[in-house]
Amino acid sequence: MSGILIQCQDVWKSYGKREVLRGLSLQLESGKIVGLLGPNGSGKTTLIKVLNGLLRVERGTVLIDGEEPGTYTKSIISYLPDKPYFAGWMKVSDLFDLFEDFYEDFERGKAEGMCRTLQIDTGLRMKTLSKGTKEKVQLILVMSRKAKLYLLDEPIAGVDPAARDFILGTILSNYNPDGTVLISTHLISDVERVLDEVAFLQNGQVVRQELVDDIREKEGKSVDELFRDVFRTVPFGGGAW
Amino acid sequence: MLGKLMKYDMKSMFRTFVPMWLLAPVISLMLGLSVRSMIAWEKNSGSALKISGYGIGLIMIVMLLLFTGVMIGLTVMTILFVIQRFWNGLLKEEGYLMFTLPVKTWELITSKGLTATIIACISVVVGILSCMILTVAFTDEVFLELMRWWSYMKKDIAGIGPVFWLQVILSVLLVIAGMVKSIYHVYAAMSLGQLFEGHRVVGSCVSYLGISMVFSVIMVVLSVIMNLVLPNDWLYDYYHYINSSAVTFSVTYMLFLLLVTAVQIAVFHIITERILSTRLNLE
Repeated sequence: MSGILIQCQDVWKSYGKREVLRGLSLQLESGKIVGLLGPNGSGKTTLIKVLNGLLRVERGTVLIDGEEPGTYTKSIISYLPDKPYFAGWMKVSDLFDLFEDFYEDFERGKAEGMCRTLQIDTGLRMKTLSKGTKEKVQLILVMSRKAKLYLLDEPIAGVDPAARDFILGTILSNYNPDGTVLISTHLISDVERVLDEVAFLQNGQVVRQELVDDIREKEGKSVDELFRDVFRTVPFGGGAW
Repeated sequence: MLGKLMKYDMKSMFRTFVPMWLLAPVISLMLGLSVRSMIAWEKNSGSALKISGYGIGLIMIVMLLLFTGVMIGLTVMTILFVIQRFWNGLLKEEGYLMFTLPVKTWELITSKGLTATIIACISVVVGILSCMILTVAFTDEVFLELMRWWSYMKKDIAGIGPVFWLQVILSVLLVIAGMVKSIYHVYAAMSLGQLFEGHRVVGSCVSYLGISMVFSVIMVVLSVIMNLVLPNDWLYDYYHYINSSAVTFSVTYMLFLLLVTAVQIAVFHIITERILSTRLNLE
């Protein structure tokens, strides 16, 4: 399955005087799992917010499935933010109702099945759930959509290794194979095995975009090793590790 | 999509307000009845300073405190909830969910605005009803007095003709439009305030005052122009010599006020929509 799904051309975005995206260009095809990799502050979250329409760019072109971010693109994007976005009064089932009302591609049966497997009571209010359970509910909502594009912002940051495996397993076994999954992270060694392609972000630009197999073949390195080479900085006080 | 959004906004607000709306008239009725029994006791025994009189007095004080509490609570809660549902629902974490739904920004704002207006209207009606229940339960005199007043009024209304009801409808519309304007004023202020990184609440308060000042200046200028254009004693004429031209004039004036308020609402809506569409700054 191919065809251009995301096309960014010379994209600029700043917060006040701080430029976060500086002429970023990126092109991604459908049907791939792509890692958006870069150190903290490289512009990963900003790019994801631009793609899902939360932020508007100052310059440049952003097209998703041929359209600028708007109502249509929002209907085909399934977005997992890096923080919980629920209203505390809502029950898990209320959220399912909401997703069913607004997203035609939401598969309620699948979401309920995942809740049963994880023993999450859908009658409970969000404010009564633990942080970990809230994150699971959020992941269930996002992965129960048959979306064209999944934007997952740091899905495994701040969780223990067992939970990382659960999250990656859920993503892999539930995403729409015709769609593209864009995972932003700086924890490369954990996600490397699931990625088809990577895009390295540095200072608001894509400095390298390659297939994972090509990296292994050409460089003889893992993505994690390549990442460390690309983003190597000299520790304070000098010296090497 | 607007209807679907309103369904969720209504649900989030109604769950808090319905108990308050039910409580207010019940407490009014109980307070009214306790005052009535206090008066009855006083009449029969000649003095309220007897043991049973103390009991009724105590109930009355408790009811009075409860009634005051519920009324203040209703007002404060309505104002706070209008602010909180917009702030938390769109400008904080929940914004990540709401602004990524496949809906337009104006629909998100209109849904919040309409829901808040409905809540505010119901709260006003409940407040008025509760006061009426209180006075009617309190003593028959008030009710009888109201009936007498109404029979006098009927003659006046008949004299004025159907245009009286047009004025009543316009007055109600003006009150509702005034509420919508106040709600959208707060929305515009919060949308501006979210642009102040790290000082969003202070920014919202300053924006609110700033907008108020700008609109006050505009209104003063408008009223000066009005005074220059309109005859000086139209209001006096209206109240003292109710005649058809004065009535027609008052209707025109109310329509004009309605138009001014509608323009203000539109300006606030456009400010809010433009900022949230182009400069959204979620926490």
